[in-house]
Amino acid sequence: MSSINVKKLSFSYRPKEILLKNISFDVMPGAFLSIVGPNGAGKTTLLNLLCGLLRPQAGSITIDAALIESYSTKKLAQKVAVVRQEFVPVFDFTVTEVISMARAPYLGTFGFESKDDMKIVSEALELTETIQYARRPLAQLSGGERQRVFIARALAANSPILLLDEPTNFLDLKHQVGIYDLLKVAQLEKGKTIVTVTHDINLAAQYCDETLLLGAGGDYQYGCPKDVFSFEQIERVFGVSTFAGDVGEEKFFIPLGKFAKDRGQIKSKLDKD
Amino acid sequence: MTEILTAKKLAIKVILCLMVLVIVMGLCTSVGTQNISLKKVFTGPGDVPGANIDYEIFVVRLRRVILAALVGAALASSGVVLQAILRNPLADPYILGISSGAGLGAIIAILSGISWTFWGGSAVTAFAFAGALATVWLVWFIGHFSGKSQVTNLLLAGVVVNAFFSAVIMFLTSIAKSEQLRWTVYWLMGSIGDKEPLVLWISGVCILAGIICLFVVCYSLNVLTLGDEQARGLGINPTKTRLAAFGFAAFITAIAVSLSGLIGFIGLIVPHGVRLVFGPDHRQLLPVSAIIGAAFLVAADTLARTIFGQEQLPVGVITAIAGGPFFLILLAKYSRKVGWLK
Repeated sequence: MSSINVKKLSFSYRPKEILLKNISFDVMPGAFLSIVGPNGAGKTTLLNLLCGLLRPQAGSITIDAALIESYSTKKLAQKVAVVRQEFVPVFDFTVTEVISMARAPYLGTFGFESKDDMKIVSEALELTETIQYARRPLAQLSGGERQRVFIARALAANSPILLLDEPTNFLDLKHQVGIYDLLKVAQLEKGKTIVTVTHDINLAAQYCDETLLLGAGGDYQYGCPKDVFSFEQIERVFGVSTFAGDVGEEKFFIPLGKFAKDRGQIKSKLDKD
Repeated sequence: MTEILTAKKLAIKVILCLMVLVIVMGLCTSVGTQNISLKKVFTGPGDVPGANIDYEIFVVRLRRVILAALVGAALASSGVVLQAILRNPLADPYILGISSGAGLGAIIAILSGISWTFWGGSAVTAFAFAGALATVWLVWFIGHFSGKSQVTNLLLAGVVVNAFFSAVIMFLTSIAKSEQLRWTVYWLMGSIGDKEPLVLWISGVCILAGIICLFVVCYSLNVLTLGDEQARGLGINPTKTRLAAFGFAAFITAIAVSLSGLIGFIGLIVPHGVRLVFGPDHRQLLPVSAIIGAAFLVAADTLARTIFGQEQLPVGVITAIAGGPFFLILLAKYSRKVGWLK
């Protein structure tokens, strides 16, 4: 199990712009963190900093007590696996070929997978239930199936940390829940430390142990989802009213648009409450 | 469970393809406008030059067949690599300006009438080689000038340099004398001629070494086709991989172009044909394409030198005429497997 420690991290793309400012948080070994926030708040940028694609302009990121800059590209790939937003490769690699690329940081000069590598790939195929289309070209799969393949690839990397950038984008409800179930299994059974960027507050609240709510201009909140997600916080950060409901410890939020049916009725119920 | 390429499977395929190549080279060496007796060939050259004309014809043909095989292997390998690093199925070995650079070098040598030789090669060969490498360096330099999207910048730089050098070639062609013009046009169309054994040895060793070096980066090329961010996440440095692949591909293409002029089609069609049949894994695609490219150019050159008797066609004409329909047959048979063709 691995941990991530972020201390006073700042980053911006332009000199006068503030995107991420003085952000500090710790992801404990085996924890599941969600990064939530409106478009342009810097969620993907933060993920790119955590996987070493971008360098911090101030502050530090440490993985297992070593600065991220001290890792070589190969060593970092052995520590952190990344699932990015959906893409289709130019050439027609099969599902197995794509998943086996996760073994790249461990291969020798000519890049042939060993039996052990293939065993790990098989396990990832089975765990993610992608084995049924293992021989099919990736381009022939639906968005949901492809997303499972990318998660299988991340699992086949056998790295202790998983970073995911909006893994449920474009997926229907069943597949959204399916992906989060899969991640929870990886966290609980394999001890993975997981960080996911998401727009879905409800899934983040249900599945994650911790959440980082990023707002505009470097504003952020960090803590347990039940503490961070509140009607007021959501309205302040996203600029939209929500109908919030509690079931046990879980909170659920339904956004209310200007033309939402029964908006007036819901608002008056909220005011009474 | 699932199909994955192993070293053993690859070795078997490569050996089978090499056997096909040896058969094609053997057949093509024995075919020509002049009939020769293999029995006389194997009796050796004889004491006096010209004593065994069959042997001498055989040696000249063999040199030509070897040259065609080397050029075909280099162009097909280079096509595989450039399609991977540019993530563009339409890329060929000439897309980054190598053709126009080599052409400009050759035409300068032809127009200036330089007649010295260099390690057994003519001034045209040496100038074409230097022109190709200088252009590749220029394209790489311009492509990295503005930084970020290296693939797009490289492609744009290649197109711009190609267009500029083509204009210079047209200008020089327009002021060339008739004999120089004939030479220039013939060189630009691409042809396999007779080369000194020393040239064959040096270029053969360089091309084979280049292909072996490219094979070492083949797995990284697989990963690189997923995109730079994905590749970095999988422990591959995209810039270093692209530089190494581009450097070796440019080097072997420059050698091929300087030996044979501009032979089109092989670097584009052979990788596609092999990919259709064998799949996109570059560890397999590169060696198989190199061997099939070699066999294809040997066969095409044999047609070019025999089809009209003593009159020889530029081999580039044959590669395009024969390769097009052959590729369409492969496409019809295998296209259901291939996503990017849909």
